[in-house]
Amino acid sequence: MLAGLGVRPIRVEAYIGRGEVAFIVVGLATTTVKEARERVRSAIKNSGLDFPHSRLTVNLAPAELRKEGSGLDLPIAIAIALASAHRLPPPRSAFVGELALDGSVRHVDGVLVAARGLRELGYERVFVPAEDAEEASLIEGLEVVPCATLLGVVNHLLGVEPIPPASRAAAGDTPSAMEQDLAEVHGQEEAKRALEVAAAGGHHVLLTGPPGAGKTMLARCLPGILPPLEFDEALEVAQVRSLLGELPRGRPLDWTRPFRAPHHGVSTAGLIGGGSGLALPGEISRATHGVLFLDELAEFQTPVLQALRQPLESGRVTITRSGGSVAYPARFSLVAATNPCPCGWGGDNVRVCRCTPAAIDTYQRRLSGPLVDRIDIQVAVRRVPLEVLAAEPCGEPSSVVRERVVLARRRQMERQGVLNAQLKPTRLRQLAPLPPESRRTLERWSARRGMTARGFHRAWRVARTAADLDGSDTIAEHHVLEALGFRLQDVAA
Amino acid sequence: MSPPELRTRGRWPPPEGPRVAIVGSRRPSPYGEAVAEQLALELARRAVVIVSGLALGIDAAAHRGALNAGGVTVAVMGTGVDVIYPSAHTVLAEAILKAGGALVSQFPDGTAPRRHHFPARNYTMAALSDLVVVVEAAEGSGALITAEAALDLHKEVMAVPGSVFSPLSVGTHGLLRDGAGLVQNARDILAVLNLGGEVLDDPLAAPGTLGFKLRPERDGILSHLSDVLAVNASELARKLQLPIAEVLGRLTSLELDGAVTRHQGGYVKALRRGKERA
Repeated sequence: MLAGLGVRPIRVEAYIGRGEVAFIVVGLATTTVKEARERVRSAIKNSGLDFPHSRLTVNLAPAELRKEGSGLDLPIAIAIALASAHRLPPPRSAFVGELALDGSVRHVDGVLVAARGLRELGYERVFVPAEDAEEASLIEGLEVVPCATLLGVVNHLLGVEPIPPASRAAAGDTPSAMEQDLAEVHGQEEAKRALEVAAAGGHHVLLTGPPGAGKTMLARCLPGILPPLEFDEALEVAQVRSLLGELPRGRPLDWTRPFRAPHHGVSTAGLIGGGSGLALPGEISRATHGVLFLDELAEFQTPVLQALRQPLESGRVTITRSGGSVAYPARFSLVAATNPCPCGWGGDNVRVCRCTPAAIDTYQRRLSGPLVDRIDIQVAVRRVPLEVLAAEPCGEPSSVVRERVVLARRRQMERQGVLNAQLKPTRLRQLAPLPPESRRTLERWSARRGMTARGFHRAWRVARTAADLDGSDTIAEHHVLEALGFRLQDVAA
Repeated sequence: MSPPELRTRGRWPPPEGPRVAIVGSRRPSPYGEAVAEQLALELARRAVVIVSGLALGIDAAAHRGALNAGGVTVAVMGTGVDVIYPSAHTVLAEAILKAGGALVSQFPDGTAPRRHHFPARNYTMAALSDLVVVVEAAEGSGALITAEAALDLHKEVMAVPGSVFSPLSVGTHGLLRDGAGLVQNARDILAVLNLGGEVLDDPLAAPGTLGFKLRPERDGILSHLSDVLAVNASELARKLQLPIAEVLGRLTSLELDGAVTRHQGGYVKALRRGKERA
């Protein structure tokens, strides 16, 4: 059984005793598991196997753990079949799968997660629904037996007709087509550079600009300039999808960075994860190793945004529900977008903003505070008039920018093992010292604009990333200046 | 409608002399703000009472200009005289009172700011002035209501021209087209008030010097910036054929020196030193 991205193995024991005909399941089974009795009974009978005509007891151990999910159908049926045949199950093997009434084995969610967890617990063989076999075989060092029908599995176990183990899924290495290429974005050099720096250092970005300025288009470019997923990252992404049953058949591993754009009406549970019993992953976990795009940031409910703070810092989210608490990965790049004011036209050179200063103040106050404080890069996006659009150069394609990003990331990993955005202040001082000139500039700005200590460190990290993009070992003054150029929040209105 | 009773704080009525209302956008360009302040300063030196609305932007600049000249200025408020709106102008209101000016309002004490109060206030402002000068007003701006009211009351209306690229010039240029007097300097206004001698067609003296020294390599950027229209970094990078990272860095450096200010729409050349807008 699954608990978040962890696995809790359950021992299924069957005992066929004397007494009146009965089928009893003990061991804290919830409704979904109790219903298994009917599925298991029909599946066994319809497979042409014998169903015991006496008192049958199935025990699910450990007894104190609440059992949930239809994945226990297959192990229960196998336990009964083996008990009838007076045989022992193969050693270090695990079973998961739902049964249809006709005895065929059906898909269950989270097989990849189960397979990985079981391997870590020392299991060597898993029996999984045939359609989920490819998913499970992504895990190295685990024999995967694809189960099409209950009869087939029983015959395999009794040595009548062995099922060939699934071959290890070839992890395809072509990233699927990019959603959006930077070359398609005309102008907007400032915002494009901001995305490049964000991608290189793992920084979060806030795009501010009027409607139609191309904020969404820019955000969609970010996955394309990030390096393709590493194997472990892709596996983690696939695990979250597997849990949610969203893993595409036939191509379980995808090297493209996820891109999630929840609507601003999203609930806290929808964003960070939730649900009854054990929590399911939310949007932030689906966006892990990828991009979480929050459009119209000011329209999100305040508690929803507050809930984002902890995962933003830690890269993980822990959710406690009645069924226990689970942790999911939530290491994403945040791209938030907002209008500069309620009407959206503040700062535009053509249309005039009609908002009262008080309305703008209220709007901006919704945005300020702890969340925006955690965003390293803020940049204004301008509406580019159509006639200019056509005339402006298209700029570099995403693939070129990505090469620079990959190099800059490599420098960071070699130096410190994490991206600049995740560098703790103490390590920042050690590993990214500021030469006197650069420090003076940063301090001058800080004094002028009343920047907080946190803001100071954030600007410092962004400066380090700018230097990494430059291939420079020291943070020069112009790197600091560029980083400060991305601090829109320090500007007096 | 019977004339509303005025609530006042400070010295009312103000000393004898012409009263000029200077009104305009709440969010002017640095150019508009500098013009309003400079005009108010020069008029106040000639014992003109400067009337305005205590709002952000042009209004505040006008009051400040008058105060800088040691002059008298009157704030016609859209709230009760005991309610300072916006609250950031509490200090300004106190300075006006201390300098022998007045806060006046047609609304009872304790009246909170209401959208529909301001047009009525604008009418009162026109009624209390001999002449209305509009500095930067977009289409539909409240300053145009003041100008309209002034015309109804047979008072003189004058306007300061702006950049034809700026939406803030639409209202003022409309007034000029309809026959408002052209303001190029304080003498233009004094002449209409029959206070000045001859009208010379010279520009308004620019306020002071820039007051900072520039490193030579940054001049290139500064010459591409305007004091009216915001220019964004992408545009500059394209014009100067420089990498965006470098342009951003140089702009920030200029910003640190107070030579440019950053706005939503981009960067604007600063006209005055150091003073950052509240």
